[in-house]
Amino acid sequence: MSGGTSSGAGGAAARMDRRTVLKLAGGAALLPAVACSPPREQIVPYVDMPEGLVPGRPRHYATALPLTGYGAPVVVESHQGRPTKVEGNARHPASGGATDAFAQAAVLSLYDPDRARAPVWRGAPGGAGEIRSWDGFLGALEGRRAAWDSTGGAGLRLLTTPVCSPTLAAQIAALLRRYPAARWDVWEPVNDDNALQGAIQAFGRPLQVLPHLAAARCVLALDADPLGPGPQQVALARDFAAARPGGKQPRDGQATARLYAVEAAMSLTGAAADHRLALHPADIPAFAAALAAELGAVPGAGMDAARGAAPQGAHARRFLAAVAEDLRAAGPAALALAGRTQPPEVHALAHCINDRLGAIGRTLSLVEPIRGGPALVAPSIAALAADLAAGQVSDLVILGGNPAYDAPADLRLAAHLPAVPFSIRLSPWADETAMLCRWHLPEHHPLETWSDAQSVDGRIGLVQPLIRPLFDSRSAHELLAALAGDPAATGHDILRAHWRERQGGGPSAFEDWWIAALRDGVLPGMAAIPVRPPAAVPPPAVAQPGTGDRAAPGFALLFRPDPALWDGRFAGNAWLQELPEPFSKLTWGNALQLAPGDAAALALDEGDLARVEADGAVLELPVVHAPGQAGGVAVVHLGHGRRHAGPVGTGRGVDAYPLRRSASPWRRDGVRLSAAGGRQLLARTQSHFRQHGRDIVREIDLAALARMPAGTDSLPASLYPEPPLPPGPQAWGMVIDQSACIGCNACVTACQAENNIPVVGPEEVALGRTMHWLRIDTYLAPPDGAAGGDGAAGGDRPLFQPVPCMQCEKAPCEPVCPVAASVHTQAGLNAQVYNRCVGTRDCQSTCPYQVRRFNFRDYAAGQAYANLGDPLYRAQRNPNVSVRPRGVMEKCTYCVQRISAAGREAEAAGRPLRDGAVVTACQAACPTGAIAFGDLRDPAAEVVRRKALPHNYALLGDLGTRPRTTYLARLRHSNPVLAADRTGGAEREGEG
Amino acid sequence: MSGAAPLPVLRLPPDLARAEALGWLTGTIAGPVLRRPLGRLWWLAVGLSLAGCLLLAVSVAWLFLRGTGIWGLNSSNVWGFAVANYVWWIGIGNAGTLISCLLLLTRQHWRASINRYAETMTLVAAAIAGLFPILHLGRPWLFYWLVPYPNVMDLWPQWRSALVWDLFAIAGYLTFSLLFWYTGLIPDLASLRDRARSRFGRLAYGLFALGWRGAARHWQAHDLFYRAMAALGIPLVISVHSVVGLDFANAIAPGWNESIFPPYFVVGAMYSGFAMVVTLAVPIRRFLGLEALITLRHFDAIGKILVLGSLVMAATYLTEWFTAWYGGATADRQLVAYRLTGGGAAVYWAMLVCNVALAQILWWPRARRSPWTVFAIAGGINIGMWLERVLIVTDSLSRSHLPSQWRDFVPTFWDWALLAGSLSLFAFVMLVLLRFLPAVSMHESRTLLPPAMPPGGRAPAGAVP
Repeated sequence: MSGGTSSGAGGAAARMDRRTVLKLAGGAALLPAVACSPPREQIVPYVDMPEGLVPGRPRHYATALPLTGYGAPVVVESHQGRPTKVEGNARHPASGGATDAFAQAAVLSLYDPDRARAPVWRGAPGGAGEIRSWDGFLGALEGRRAAWDSTGGAGLRLLTTPVCSPTLAAQIAALLRRYPAARWDVWEPVNDDNALQGAIQAFGRPLQVLPHLAAARCVLALDADPLGPGPQQVALARDFAAARPGGKQPRDGQATARLYAVEAAMSLTGAAADHRLALHPADIPAFAAALAAELGAVPGAGMDAARGAAPQGAHARRFLAAVAEDLRAAGPAALALAGRTQPPEVHALAHCINDRLGAIGRTLSLVEPIRGGPALVAPSIAALAADLAAGQVSDLVILGGNPAYDAPADLRLAAHLPAVPFSIRLSPWADETAMLCRWHLPEHHPLETWSDAQSVDGRIGLVQPLIRPLFDSRSAHELLAALAGDPAATGHDILRAHWRERQGGGPSAFEDWWIAALRDGVLPGMAAIPVRPPAAVPPPAVAQPGTGDRAAPGFALLFRPDPALWDGRFAGNAWLQELPEPFSKLTWGNALQLAPGDAAALALDEGDLARVEADGAVLELPVVHAPGQAGGVAVVHLGHGRRHAGPVGTGRGVDAYPLRRSASPWRRDGVRLSAAGGRQLLARTQSHFRQHGRDIVREIDLAALARMPAGTDSLPASLYPEPPLPPGPQAWGMVIDQSACIGCNACVTACQAENNIPVVGPEEVALGRTMHWLRIDTYLAPPDGAAGGDGAAGGDRPLFQPVPCMQCEKAPCEPVCPVAASVHTQAGLNAQVYNRCVGTRDCQSTCPYQVRRFNFRDYAAGQAYANLGDPLYRAQRNPNVSVRPRGVMEKCTYCVQRISAAGREAEAAGRPLRDGAVVTACQAACPTGAIAFGDLRDPAAEVVRRKALPHNYALLGDLGTRPRTTYLARLRHSNPVLAADRTGGAEREGEG
Repeated sequence: MSGAAPLPVLRLPPDLARAEALGWLTGTIAGPVLRRPLGRLWWLAVGLSLAGCLLLAVSVAWLFLRGTGIWGLNSSNVWGFAVANYVWWIGIGNAGTLISCLLLLTRQHWRASINRYAETMTLVAAAIAGLFPILHLGRPWLFYWLVPYPNVMDLWPQWRSALVWDLFAIAGYLTFSLLFWYTGLIPDLASLRDRARSRFGRLAYGLFALGWRGAARHWQAHDLFYRAMAALGIPLVISVHSVVGLDFANAIAPGWNESIFPPYFVVGAMYSGFAMVVTLAVPIRRFLGLEALITLRHFDAIGKILVLGSLVMAATYLTEWFTAWYGGATADRQLVAYRLTGGGAAVYWAMLVCNVALAQILWWPRARRSPWTVFAIAGGINIGMWLERVLIVTDSLSRSHLPSQWRDFVPTFWDWALLAGSLSLFAFVMLVLLRFLPAVSMHESRTLLPPAMPPGGRAPAGAVP
């Protein structure tokens, strides 16, 4: 820790042998190619630009990272031209300074040595390619352009993902004007087609829903996952936290949102819900219809039919009645959200409910689709597939996405792709699609790109590069310009030209605007404008009672995007591969999630291989139990089983896309499950989820909180009473609000990026050797719908508990270390002196929280997993945190390097450290503000305010360790009507 | 305990004069040492144990090359076989000192036939035990940082840590064991010097005999020193294992944080050590032809000690269970329940059978006086005590306070290789030492001769109490 910064270099010098020298010499020879340098053009630092660069002092630049057609607004930390860490853009309302795990991990993929380095031409698609120059490609393109000019671009197809860049959309539009016979198709495996079609049913045109959770007092999620992974997560989770008591002092009479979830598979939203109903997916439309009828949102004859469609089971009916009552009471402050996996009718019904309650314009806005390109992607890709099958495509340009891997299997896109005579693939990695195209052109990483991006709220931000491209790559803008006959145009010029035209005004005014736009990362006043559509029309065919497809034998297989790999695009990112799935804690692969009851009926234990059969297609993958999942449902995450994703991603898990059909992308009925025989070792970071009657995650009903006296969590009795705070300059402390934690894992990845935490690989995870300093423990609350009696009702709710080092005042780890490597600092931190550690591991064996992490192998260097020991990856490392060698214990430091930097800055400025000057990496990333950190001596500090709350408690406080990290009990805003159901569950609390 | 006549400590051949008896005694003991042909069996045993030592060398080399990740350790079970083996070996290393010192001071003269090889066993076992804490380290080449040596950083070890006390305890104990063993050996080395037929033998034994001539002054000084050492040894041997117990007891893991641990570990050490003494006694007596010296009387006495040990162990286990229940801490209670009924319960029950049930057979005098029965039971106790060490280390760590961190310890090939290698090393060193040094103390066993034997008279057979 302190003084540890030099250890890495010293250690490396000591181990210098002939091979190392040769390796370094080779690296030095490559240096000109991969040297880290700022881009050629002027980029503008985030706030102010000190005169000259101060060595050792990071600079921050605002930019955006694209995800499924939206730009995540971020600020990237750069050390001497080397981007190392992503933070959220506090000036952007969609971020507020927070990020998700994807954004945190983006900086690792920048330095992926597996990235494409030069254009590749393939004579035979699928085979090994030949390296070509860009000029070689441009020469070939010239020939094709001449043909397009003569035919108007007939046979030219452009396939992209929904486009988040207005400049790119304008470029494509211009290209299509030039070649009118060409066509632009769009594909995105995790798409919102159902939502847009639902809007077409209700309003006659595709409109997008922008929820305003902060304004809502009662939210119903119909298989919707607003808090789940995806581009909307940060904005909506922030919004949701604002509507909840969370870490804020619950005031009398303050209205607090109540969240209901009705869903088949456990989602982060379902986990955060106050009441959750597990329903078979076939029953959810009926539930929505019955609810709409109950609220009078479905007029006339449809109403009776809808009422009759109410789901079976006493608990479900009571749940429905309670939700209806609550929504009605909330009125315009109510919000019904339908998930992208639900059919269009459910979306239309949700629109009707919101319309009926007067919520449109209050708790949600409707906007025109934000992203560029055809609104509905499924018909778009189907049209392209038809053209491909008919041989009408002579030239295909594929930007982004990975359709050869993730397009619906029945379209057989991968089979048709190789037949295209001139196919161009622009992507940073040689993925499945690149393998099947004639030309694979390396694309810039987003952190190397000049561009612009619209965020989920429609605001536009400029994308500026942090680093000169590491390889011989180009951006989509530059390729588009080349297609349009201007191969010399740079991304910077294209972007400026676009915005100069859009902004108008004089050159100097534009320069001012440009500088401000780059600095802020968000353009003023560009949010999507809500439209006020006519009254919502209910869907023509309200789901019939006892919907027929439920009767189909076999299981309903549900496809969900992976919380870490999303649609598979992040499979090559080792941080995300090793990020535990929130519920099963599985890393490095996927599994078939089955409700425990179903798994028992099939005699499938966790880790047993299951055989999944649907019309001849077969998958074999291990089973994990998913408490809280509806019966008759099996869930599999997409994005695994990549065939070309580098040493990190290739062949991890099982690819579920072959079972996906374009007609029903989210669900496959009539799937047969059986035991395949054999077992697979599951690389999971946690396998015991019960609390065993221990006081670990406390949960209190909001109503009970008001009756709690403050300071109930007193210290255990001691013969040697001490003052609450020992003497020292500062007393750092942390409070984690478990009500606000949604289990999104952003903090885990942020910690990994900030603290140079190595990846250990699946074998080591299976052995139980993860290195994450901050982990999120998942425990199961007792069953909720116990009184319901039917298998689908209720289930075990997961509770999330982020566990960093507790930084105990009476730390058990300190007295046991024989060499004084574990020491207490004046500010109350348990410091670990890596240089001094000899690796007795006594500290971890005595740590009741078991938060310390031991380098059983040389994970960071000599024994790094896959290609993670590549020198290029070292560029990502935070220079202010030492890299730990083999045989050394490490642990959470409260980001001591940030404390130290803030302290030096305050000292130089001659002022005391103010509250908020030190923000830990986990705290910064958290979208809900669950983590508060600060000086316990500062009476005005947020952390002090939280510690005084009645529901503040210390984990395992009775052991007398006096942890500085404490928790706020999880508050549940339960509905008294449904709370009666819970008493049955509460009695079972003592079980196990 | 039984009404039978007391068993003889020494089985003298009939019709032996005292003067002849002394010579016979020395000859019986020195014979195997000085006899030239070594025997095929000895060579076979040495070969096997050397192969095992090779395995040890390979596994240590691999450990240094690849790190502790080659073992079955994980983030919860950060301690594994290395610590368990250490505790087990140091336990075995306790018995020799207890037999030598405690039984010397309490005037249990029968000990004279077994104390020498028990001390040898102690020395070798303690030395092997001392290896494990170093091999256990993540960075073993820095083990000397636990030593308070003057350095430029002015940094001393962290004295509150039981591991530092451990270092001193082991180092002190090893030094003591070596000195005590060597001191007792000096008169015998002189005897061997006098009897050796080869020039090399005379030189080698003579060198280490330090000019012992058997003068009265020598004997007087020797006796004084030896008894003083013995008085020092008892607190030392108790402190060694108490400190080992503190390694665990000062951690707040459930099942470790118990004040009973120091005495519990001392008793456990004595128990496993005495079991190992018996385990070694049977082959030594058989293959070195020492049936006349290591007699059924010894098996009977050690059998009784083992019964006592098993009862104390049983009381300790009961105390552990009781305090877990009475203390009321959920983690402690659930740990006991897990041990008795959880996934690894079979191992725990096997440990209870070996450590408690097996020794109850020894209430029966005939069982105590059957060397092979006692040998089998002692072997079971050795295994049981090893299992106990492993379970102490792994159970608490794999079922600690937070269920999210519950993980099982699964030993790998290299865990077993290190254990097998250490056993081989022990066997090898014992084979060599017993080949070149007397297995029984010649000068002390002379005290076992009947004092009332008239010079030149006849020894009353079996009259030595």
